[in-house]
Amino acid sequence: MPLSPPDRVIPTLHRATAIALSACAIAYGYLVVNAPVDSEQGVVQKILYLHVPCAMAAYLGFLLTAIGGGLYLWKREERFDRFAASAAEVGAFFCALVLVTGPIWGKGTWGSWWSWDLRLTVTLLLFLVYLSYLLLRSFTEGGDRKARFAAIYGIAGLLVIPLNYFAIDLAGGRSIHPENLEGGSLGAGMALPFAAGILTAIVAFSHLLLGRIDIARLRAQLAERDAEREMRGGGDCA
Amino acid sequence: MNVFLAVLWKDLLIEWRSRDRLVAMGIFAVLVVIVLYFAAAPGLGSEARAPGLLWVAYLFASVLGLNRAFALELENEALSGLALAPADRGWIFLGKAAASLLLLLIVQAGAALVFALAFEVAIAPVALPFAAIAFLGALGLCAVGTLFAAIAVRTTFREVMLPLLLLPLSVPVILGSVRATNALLLDGSLPWAATRLLLVTDAVFLIVSFVSFEYVLDD
Amino acid sequence: MSEPLILARGLEKRFGAVRAIRGLDLEVRAGSTLAVIGPNGAGKSTLLRLLSGLTRPSAGVLRVGRGGGDRRSRRREVGLIAHSSFLYPALTARENLILAARLHGVANPAERADALLEEQELSQVAERKAGGFSRGMSQRLSIARGLVHDPEILLLDEPFSGLDPRATSRLAERLGERRTVQRTLVLATHDLARAAELADQILLLVRGESVALPAREGRDAAALERHYREAVG
Repeated sequence: MPLSPPDRVIPTLHRATAIALSACAIAYGYLVVNAPVDSEQGVVQKILYLHVPCAMAAYLGFLLTAIGGGLYLWKREERFDRFAASAAEVGAFFCALVLVTGPIWGKGTWGSWWSWDLRLTVTLLLFLVYLSYLLLRSFTEGGDRKARFAAIYGIAGLLVIPLNYFAIDLAGGRSIHPENLEGGSLGAGMALPFAAGILTAIVAFSHLLLGRIDIARLRAQLAERDAEREMRGGGDCA
Repeated sequence: MNVFLAVLWKDLLIEWRSRDRLVAMGIFAVLVVIVLYFAAAPGLGSEARAPGLLWVAYLFASVLGLNRAFALELENEALSGLALAPADRGWIFLGKAAASLLLLLIVQAGAALVFALAFEVAIAPVALPFAAIAFLGALGLCAVGTLFAAIAVRTTFREVMLPLLLLPLSVPVILGSVRATNALLLDGSLPWAATRLLLVTDAVFLIVSFVSFEYVLDD
Repeated sequence: MSEPLILARGLEKRFGAVRAIRGLDLEVRAGSTLAVIGPNGAGKSTLLRLLSGLTRPSAGVLRVGRGGGDRRSRRREVGLIAHSSFLYPALTARENLILAARLHGVANPAERADALLEEQELSQVAERKAGGFSRGMSQRLSIARGLVHDPEILLLDEPFSGLDPRATSRLAERLGERRTVQRTLVLATHDLARAAELADQILLLVRGESVALPAREGRDAAALERHYREAVG
């Protein structure tokens, strides 16, 4: 079964990002290992090189989910829904990483695993919204209905992020996030590993996203072929 | 506009016939308040936590009511009957949200009474601002809750789906309301920041839900 | 030659991977009656829901009514009487009709409701809750509901099922009357005799596709039954 040109684009990009990711990961790893050790926080501080890029990927993911959903509601093309769903899965993964690396840093620096820090709490809420989004998808039947409902929830979830930020800030979410402590400027020699980390995260996100979209696309094609076969086969025996 | 009034009238009329939603929500809210009273350990700044507990009761009662709001639309596919109306479906949303809001306000009043007695909190001196905050909070919950209830009722896990969808997004409403109620009851001060948050959240939720409802019924 | 009131080209409806309606072409002129026949699961109900605007097509062109292309103005011109009655069991027959009238922006909802109740011979039970109605009464009330805004296009999904012979013939009579009053009817039914009697045009649906029928000679029910059996097997 030869694949039509559009079908080839995604797997090709997927492979390309794999190569890019390997290159980035090597450079990134090297930079992190050789980055200066922070005088106050010690080696634990280096986990922030993972934590911050993952956070960006997590929020990017949700933005893409909402955009994909919006495009589906506008154009009703399945590929936008596949995009949204894939972005949600990959984004949720990065979000989980943020919620794991954050407390590790917290324990290493403050001695406590969780302290209701403002940004971490907002990210926790984002993670819960991600999970609810994914659960909504799995408990809704019918391709169009599932896509519509998910799109609505995705957009609502996106809009609530800034609201959550203000809400938790209001409720006195403690601002012990690193930036606030150090007055916002990165120490010397830290800019490059951070930049590498962000680049790697974006490439990793793209790679996983493309892979996930590819799987979804193939599944859809398979399901359609099965449904056709069933309809044809059943008729002949009537 | 007509559609809004028609849907509101319908929901209230059906509720008036059986009053089951109101009674269920009311009893449930009161029960939650009482249970939370026993669960909340005295001391440990329990006074400061008390308004939060009241809002937990409100939140749970609202979930109960919102679920029932759409359960009644399932029989005979009545919801599709509404969808056939040649009007903007946002008005259907408003009608149902308004009905749920009215019922919730009644429940809030009753639960507040029980709360004031159990936790020995004086609400009377700040009754009007308290009611205003209760209204804003309930509005936010009913707005986004009605949208999600309409979605949840067409999933295969109806009862659990609504709280799953609603709770993460209800945080701004709950936090704003609790913050405001705290300020009123404990400090006697006017909670401007919290009220602003509530107003913005309510506006966002109302607009998003009004516009999205078209797509919920769109099958 | 006037524009057809209902026009479909390459109409498709997918539910997930299943194609319930596939590549359907259809033209219905104003004032005519179309009967849609076919075995269970052929897509008759889906087609009617598409025509009513309740469901959106997955692909293809669908134009219904005189208004603009959008489905909202279509809902003004179309009445749907489906398998589900759309009735609220806790409301009385009269209240259900008043609600439907208000939803459709009908002037004087109460009067309209009373008129419809009388037409369907339900005036006696106007104040009874719809939940307590028998199948036949429910059916008649649901028909009244579909007619509340006096739509030019009426879609009926198996309206004869559940009706006793007297009600059936009375409904058939009324549908026949509507024809002469230049209403357009689309009727999905298993009742081939009624289909033959009432329809100007017959569409046979099998597995979502239109199956060609030989040209009709008058309104011969027996011939229709023969053709049907040949086509469906």
